[in-house]
Amino acid sequence: MLGLVVRRLLVAIPMLLITSVLIFGLVVLIPGDAAVTLAGGPDAPPGAVEEVREELQLDEPLPAQYLDWLGGVVRLDFGDSLYSHEPITDELAERLPVTLGLAALVFGLAVPVALLVGVAGGLRPGSLLDRALMVGSGAFLAVPPFWIALVLVTLFAVRLGWLPPFGYVELRADPGEWFRRMIMPAAALALGMAAVLARQVRGGLADVMQAPYIRTAWAKGGSTRQVVVGHALKGSAMPAVTVLGLQVGVVLGSSVIIERIFTIPGLGTYLLEAVNAQDLPVVQGVALVFVVIHVVTSLLVDIAYGWLNPKVRAA
Amino acid sequence: MSAATRDAGRPPGRARRAWARFRRDRLALAAAVFLVALALAGALHPLIAPYDPAEQETGRPFEGPSGRHWLGTDDLGRDVLSRLLEGAATSMRFSLLVVALALVVALPVGLLSGYVGGRLDNVLMRVMDAVMSIPALVLAIAVVAVLGAGLDSAMIAIAVAMAPGLTRLVRGQALAVREETFVEASHVIGTPAARVVRRHLLPNVLSPLIVQASILLGLVLLAEAGLSFLGLGAQPPTASWGSMLQRAYDSVLSHPWHVLPPGLAIALTVLAFNAVGDGLRAALGAAPPVRKHGRLGLTTVSDRAAEPAPDGIEPAPDAAGAADADGDGALLRVAGLRLDLATPAGPRRVLDGVSFSVAPGETLGLVGESGCGKTVTSLAIMRLLPSPPATIVGGTVRFDGRDLLRLPFRDLARLRGRELAMVFQDPLASLNPGLTVAHQIGQVVRWHEPDADRRAAARRTAEALELVGIPAARGRSYPHELSGGMRQRVMIAMALVCRPKLLIADEPTTALDVTVQAQVLELLKELRAELGMAVLFVTHDLGVVADICDRVAVMRAGRVVEVAPVRDVFHAPQHPYTRHLLSHVTAGETELVAP
Repeated sequence: MLGLVVRRLLVAIPMLLITSVLIFGLVVLIPGDAAVTLAGGPDAPPGAVEEVREELQLDEPLPAQYLDWLGGVVRLDFGDSLYSHEPITDELAERLPVTLGLAALVFGLAVPVALLVGVAGGLRPGSLLDRALMVGSGAFLAVPPFWIALVLVTLFAVRLGWLPPFGYVELRADPGEWFRRMIMPAAALALGMAAVLARQVRGGLADVMQAPYIRTAWAKGGSTRQVVVGHALKGSAMPAVTVLGLQVGVVLGSSVIIERIFTIPGLGTYLLEAVNAQDLPVVQGVALVFVVIHVVTSLLVDIAYGWLNPKVRAA
Repeated sequence: MSAATRDAGRPPGRARRAWARFRRDRLALAAAVFLVALALAGALHPLIAPYDPAEQETGRPFEGPSGRHWLGTDDLGRDVLSRLLEGAATSMRFSLLVVALALVVALPVGLLSGYVGGRLDNVLMRVMDAVMSIPALVLAIAVVAVLGAGLDSAMIAIAVAMAPGLTRLVRGQALAVREETFVEASHVIGTPAARVVRRHLLPNVLSPLIVQASILLGLVLLAEAGLSFLGLGAQPPTASWGSMLQRAYDSVLSHPWHVLPPGLAIALTVLAFNAVGDGLRAALGAAPPVRKHGRLGLTTVSDRAAEPAPDGIEPAPDAAGAADADGDGALLRVAGLRLDLATPAGPRRVLDGVSFSVAPGETLGLVGESGCGKTVTSLAIMRLLPSPPATIVGGTVRFDGRDLLRLPFRDLARLRGRELAMVFQDPLASLNPGLTVAHQIGQVVRWHEPDADRRAAARRTAEALELVGIPAARGRSYPHELSGGMRQRVMIAMALVCRPKLLIADEPTTALDVTVQAQVLELLKELRAELGMAVLFVTHDLGVVADICDRVAVMRAGRVVEVAPVRDVFHAPQHPYTRHLLSHVTAGETELVAP
């Protein structure tokens, strides 16, 4: 198992390096003189343009700029915001837990729902219940999470008045209130994810139930619960776990929009503020943090996969 | 020669057959029609829309639906229906262009990477993985941040985010096809690479690619809606469903109804793309057929089976076995067992009145060529065949005084593994790859004896492993870490851990090599004597029969044609088919195998 973790880390590090090149390379795409554009366009005061040029060392050759930037990033120094001139690292550190909390709640909601729905359908593929569940999950695949968010707000905040429509309270300050404010954003993100996962669990389970080793389990005298929980579920979880890894990226991306709707001060709102202010160093910093979250969760998913499939551990 | 004339002479091609299947899928067809209609309505919106979508104050702000404004008006008094139609044009054009753009990158890069392989493949895939590690929407937002907001930047941004997934798909498919024999053969006879790619790789890559592209169209539409919702995509006055949602959101507290039209438009369109994708997947033969289940883990016995067959008819097809099944004091008595398998052409009779009996402590060989129904018989006794397709339509299976065909699932499950155990043909597939073998053996004890604590189960497991000659410490292994012979020993240990009265062994040595076969047979012989259990030994190998069985039941085409002591079968076969079977063992060998 330790070998698996080490191998995956060895793959992850060069990948992070390539990604960092890509993210830093965004600066090349800026039309015209980057310093002028970033300082606010042709009307920007010359002082500001020079300041930006100085700050980002835009006169240096690109590789030197990159290495300088990477050197900072490795020491967790993402530079200063062009807009507020505050250190980006401090802001990231403050916002990271907010987004991670949201993501954790999304997982906590989506995974049990997906298991329940997927098992119910996968045990009897083609049955009425199965078809109903698949139509339902198909609908949630098609609906954008931010629209679900709007409908939830309309229903539970505007009509019923049960939940606040937006705003954020820190988990440490008041866990109950945190939950009340996070449940709608998390549900909006979790429904689509649960739909994708449930379909995987269902397909996986339907396949596995045909496997010879399931026949062995029946021949050993297992009850339905013993056969499904003791044998089939683990095998059928594998495709779902693979997809879980892919879904992390989708949820992280959508969380940007959801954070904006519910005014949650996480990484997503930081990214959008930076986009509006053309604050390139912040955009790069946030994007890189998103990548690291994504890579780390993928690593965890790989480890879970290894736990499910002993052959992967050895290979 | 054009492609059309070249195709004209061929029998109906893959594409046409796929289209015929797709056409019969009503949901997918309806979805496809909806999408075409939507695209047309969008393209023609300047002609058919009731108002100019950008015209303000066509009515009061936030009007409800009416004859003048079917879907009401927005915050600036613009007609919502007209804006939806323009949004359809925006979204459809956007989705099609982005997917086309992504394909233009993915197809050549993926084919090259998969076909050339080696270091190039390695480098390209690493870069694709790196792009994929940036969450798609974050990547799109970042690209828009440097290019400036607008549909064109959004298009490039989303295409960049979508291309790696498609490239990986093409590459994986190309890689798989490259390994195929016919492609290797093309190389050997010197077919130019470009031709191999065009003739062999491309057609095989196309099916999954078409399916993926239709799913991707929906995803791109969602991404565009997201970016436009954030104000980074479509810019006013251009209407897009995402930007319409954003405006509706600004007034959600006062006019919540207005989030519905653009939201439903997005949802319906994406749903339609997904339905078309699912339909294409099924039509192109990529989706596994869906099966319905009867009772899980239990072969269905049809009601007709409960009725006694009219006298004189049932025993007739299987007189040899029926006489045997009449015997008293048998442990297992199968009489007139008939079983149907559902096929697309209707039910097919696989067992047509199988009868035989096994006495306590006796070993009965069930022999016959492949396809005669001997494995089906062994599985039907334990009711392990899935329903559908299998249904038992007649007969009785009496085991130790109980009719297994009339037992409810709970009671049968209590017998399975405890009094009635089974060893299967392929030990690797029959063991759960994700659990240690000790765990899998211990389960039998824990399932049948809820009182047995963990330690007792572990002790019994260790004993069972020792019994089959495996050191207890090897129990911590996973099936893939054991040799084929060891795995079959594990299966035997699993079957014997509760000391069953009858062991059904379905070709237990067929998947093993010859020396291991002999060891496993020797082990079964020893254990049979030690535990005093009866064995139903299913095999096509007459040598094995001679070695281990007391009596033999010869099966042919779903019936038992002869039952006799093993010596009589070899020296004085009664049925012509038995003589036929024996004639395949040459004279000299008969001497060797006959006891």
